[in-house]
Amino acid sequence: MNWQRRLFELMQPQRGRMLAALGLSLLASTAGIGLMAVSGHFIASMALVGAGAAAINYYTPAALVRLFAILRTGGRYAERLCGHDATLSILARLRGWLFGRLIPLAPAALAEQRGAQLLSRLRADIDTLEQSYLGLWLPSAVAACSALVVLVVAACWSGWFALLLMPLLLFAGAWLPWRLQASHADDAAQIDRDAEALRAAWADALAGRAELTMWGAEDAFDARMEQLTAQREAARARTQRGLARADAMLAACSGIALSVALLIGVLAMQQRHLDGPGLALLAMLAMAAFEPLLPLPLAWSRLAAIKAAAQRVFELADRAPVVLDPATPVAMPQATDLHLREVWMRHAQHGEWALRGLNLDLTAGTHLALVGASGAGKSSLAQLLGRLYPYQGSVTLGGTALDQLGADDVRARLAIVEQAPYLFDASLRDNLRIAAPDADDATLLRVLAVAQLDEFLRELPNGLDTWVGANGVNLSGGEARRLAIARALLVDAPVLVLDEPSEGLDALTTAALYKSLAVETRGRSVLLITHRLGGIAALVDEVAVIEQGRIVARRTVEGFAAQTTDSLRDAG
Amino acid sequence: MASTEHGAAADWLRQQAQPVRRLLRNAISYGAAQSLLVCAIAWLVSHVLAQAIFAHAGLADLRWSILGVVALVLLRAVLLYRQRACSDAAGRAVTQNVQRSLRERLRQLGPRWSTGQSAGDLVTRLVDGVDTLAPYYAGYLPQAALAGLIPTVVLLAVGLREPWSALVLLLCAPLLPVFLILAGRAAAEASTRRWLRLRRLGARFMDAVSGLSTLRLYRAAEREHERVLAAGEGYRKDTMAVLRVAFLSALVMEFFATCSIAIVAVMVGFRLMSGHLGFAEGMFALLLAPEFFLPLRAMGTQRHARMEAVAAAEGLVDILAAPVAAPLAATPVATPKAAAPNLVLRGVHASQGDSGEVLRGIDLTVPAGSRLTLVGPSGGGKSSLLAAVMGLLPLESGDIEIDGHALQAADLPVWRAQIAWLPQRPHVFNGSLRDNLLLARPDADEVSIARVLRMASLDHVVAKLPQGLDTPLGERGLGLSGGELQRLAIARMCLRDASVLLWDEPTQHLDAATAAQIEQQLDQFARGRTVLRVAHRVRDLGPQEVVAVLVGGTIVEQGTVAQLRRPGTAFAALLQEDLRA
Repeated sequence: MNWQRRLFELMQPQRGRMLAALGLSLLASTAGIGLMAVSGHFIASMALVGAGAAAINYYTPAALVRLFAILRTGGRYAERLCGHDATLSILARLRGWLFGRLIPLAPAALAEQRGAQLLSRLRADIDTLEQSYLGLWLPSAVAACSALVVLVVAACWSGWFALLLMPLLLFAGAWLPWRLQASHADDAAQIDRDAEALRAAWADALAGRAELTMWGAEDAFDARMEQLTAQREAARARTQRGLARADAMLAACSGIALSVALLIGVLAMQQRHLDGPGLALLAMLAMAAFEPLLPLPLAWSRLAAIKAAAQRVFELADRAPVVLDPATPVAMPQATDLHLREVWMRHAQHGEWALRGLNLDLTAGTHLALVGASGAGKSSLAQLLGRLYPYQGSVTLGGTALDQLGADDVRARLAIVEQAPYLFDASLRDNLRIAAPDADDATLLRVLAVAQLDEFLRELPNGLDTWVGANGVNLSGGEARRLAIARALLVDAPVLVLDEPSEGLDALTTAALYKSLAVETRGRSVLLITHRLGGIAALVDEVAVIEQGRIVARRTVEGFAAQTTDSLRDAG
Repeated sequence: MASTEHGAAADWLRQQAQPVRRLLRNAISYGAAQSLLVCAIAWLVSHVLAQAIFAHAGLADLRWSILGVVALVLLRAVLLYRQRACSDAAGRAVTQNVQRSLRERLRQLGPRWSTGQSAGDLVTRLVDGVDTLAPYYAGYLPQAALAGLIPTVVLLAVGLREPWSALVLLLCAPLLPVFLILAGRAAAEASTRRWLRLRRLGARFMDAVSGLSTLRLYRAAEREHERVLAAGEGYRKDTMAVLRVAFLSALVMEFFATCSIAIVAVMVGFRLMSGHLGFAEGMFALLLAPEFFLPLRAMGTQRHARMEAVAAAEGLVDILAAPVAAPLAATPVATPKAAAPNLVLRGVHASQGDSGEVLRGIDLTVPAGSRLTLVGPSGGGKSSLLAAVMGLLPLESGDIEIDGHALQAADLPVWRAQIAWLPQRPHVFNGSLRDNLLLARPDADEVSIARVLRMASLDHVVAKLPQGLDTPLGERGLGLSGGELQRLAIARMCLRDASVLLWDEPTQHLDAATAAQIEQQLDQFARGRTVLRVAHRVRDLGPQEVVAVLVGGTIVEQGTVAQLRRPGTAFAALLQEDLRA
């Protein structure tokens, strides 16, 4: 389906107001033309009376002038209010719609998109789509209608003039804007594309400023930005020059139409086909005829940009989520045993397999550590359990296949701390409440204590109101990690999956964290994913070793420790 | 408060016009010249109409006048084009200048400022904010001058031929600017509010999309969706508030303009009827009356552009006026580029934002070509110490000396060129694996890239990727595992080939086997270089390793592992905890 039709379908709910705005705009511009024409006629008639002609009824034209004046100003005002309110409503809706479409795509189907790019689409591109109605179709429709009105009125007074005016109107109102958009389509799209690139580059430079500084790469970065800006401004310069040329030609057409009106009018008067007031009317009509065409070059120069924005937005919205919720989710079973049989999984459709026939059992209440080399597939398992990536093979939760359960139901049972948990640019409190919006401060303080953050919290002057910063920049790596653990504890799920919880923590804190987690999770299942074996005996009873995507050994933690010591001795 | 901020932003906007004065003056001249042409055209048209209607002149008499109209109209179009070319060029030039000074400024503000900002908000200010400036220079400034010039020219022209109409116009004219200013006040407030909302919206969206996976895992995505919808609705309301005022002021102005034209028309009409006025003069006044109001009406639109620019400029002035944390030495002393310098810290005190004092009197020496390991509990100040050595954390007191030269007086870029830094949280830049490596050393060849990949045990991982080194990396390295990312950072560090190595936990995220393998490579790489590193895994340290134990911003113990391994030391406690694991 073409993008314009899709856009109009998304705008359906505002159709009433959009049509009203069109009607009002048409009324206002027709009134403007009427005002000019009647004034010219009126003045000439009055002058003829002054020169000795018979008296005329001057009430009717004077009343018409007043009426047209009111219609023009009032109509313009009402049209603007109505049109803008409609498009802004559409805008808000489109943005919400796109965000809703993004939710099921993250992270698997958005792998190659950076945050700044998505921001660009969500904000700037949607803003650009707004212009499609108010900036493009509305003025075009109004221009077409009022051109027709002008031609009909002109034909009533002089067929020849109407005939000559028509090509002028077509040239200025159709050919000029069309040429303009066709010759600058690439530039218009490039201006927005470069803006997206600029946003992404800035976001990069803000997060990686330390690296740029330390590597002496700031000059190179600035040079790239300068080049990107220069390229964008060059495209803008070309577009603006084209637009200025089109606007100048439009102004010239309007003047030529006036000259033609004078020429034809004078000729017609010589041949007695036209009277004095008629000539004045034609001249004024010629001048007014081009006014509705004035916004067209600018409007059409944006067509390519609107089209590109629509395509970017629809491309994103049309992506299929890689994990689909079942149409009719099976009711959540009571039991929470997890069984994985011959499970295969990969992150991209044709990528390397991260899990290769993995078998694992996590019966309710088991505390199991999953250890293995980096890249062995540990984190992939956590992502699979969070229903963020699809898998092959069988995974059951309480005896029911994982993919037959609603994803959110699964997430209520499995609380997962990712390897790189995201912290939001909000307070500590709001970051925690993401997991439990209704949790009171006492609950929050309790989970923070379990995550060994109570001491840290005591030292903060603003306590729970402390601002965490985007992705937790105001916290140390270890603090951010523990905050994410506290957040997961708020879910109060029977199964807790922790991906590298000890990252950035010293041995003392790790030991204390494992000890308090052991108490907190008594009776619940725990899957501890780690490459650091230090202190895990405090939290887990069993250890499973993962190698190249499958479990190669599983022992009690004591047995595992003995074996590791043996192998170390052998190696030494 | 708000008005002084407006004032500062407006002053700043005016200052930016300085370099484009000439362009703006030219644009204004072209605009003024057009108004003379408009008067001439109106005179010719009224002449033709009067001659044709009242003197019954034919085409033979009027053809030159009509041709004159055509010529003037074409000339006017050319001038219009020139005017636009000049004003558009001014807008673009200012945009590029501002972008340049913002880049310069962000460099000066440094990494500590950048990371403390909301990326979404800052990006909105830096790209979309700067984009709103051009219309101020291309539209508002020339139009503001023309709004005074053109009506004067038109008034004089009308006044010469039809003084009564000129009087009507003159009486009506002052009402417009008064209304413009009254409406402008309210609109400026609303405009600032709208722009703030837009910035917050940017920050919110960026944050939400960056943490979308986390939101999903905690079943919070739908709640965020509702908030996005609500934020969009709020933006609509704020925008409508701005527009309502703008439209209302436009309505008032249009109304006044239309009324004035109508008064002129009726007056001219009745004076024509009574024979007190010639048709040509009357027609001339009537044709020019709308031209008199046109530039004033255009100001309504342009004031909107100005408000947007002022609101956006506030966000930019904030950046440009933010205090620079570490002023560079006035005349930096070139640091001698030693093969491997020695590093001395004396009584170093430093503070970091909300965390207060992070370094409290650090005395430390790293002899040239040797290695010192910092250990201690998290939050002890280890990373801050590295930041101080890199010149990223300004000292409150004390000295850092490189081969006897004070860092405070040193040419920082030259000093930094000698450092290879491995950060605790390496940033993955937008681009391919290769781009990310080359950022550290743009002139690196394939051979050295292959070498560092081997050193970081990354060669096998890269070999397995279908696109190899050209594999694009997603945000925060999506596509690579945590350990692989860490190894990428190590490879990047090795590519620097510098004489001073600063490592913040080089083998974090790595399993024991890979870590041991890489440690070995790093040991080899470190030979002959001065190394200051942070380590968590205390038990892996060899007995001859020199360590400093950092607790609460001070060094509590220092010596070789063998020396410190006696009972009762803080080091022994760390070691015991690590071993018990």
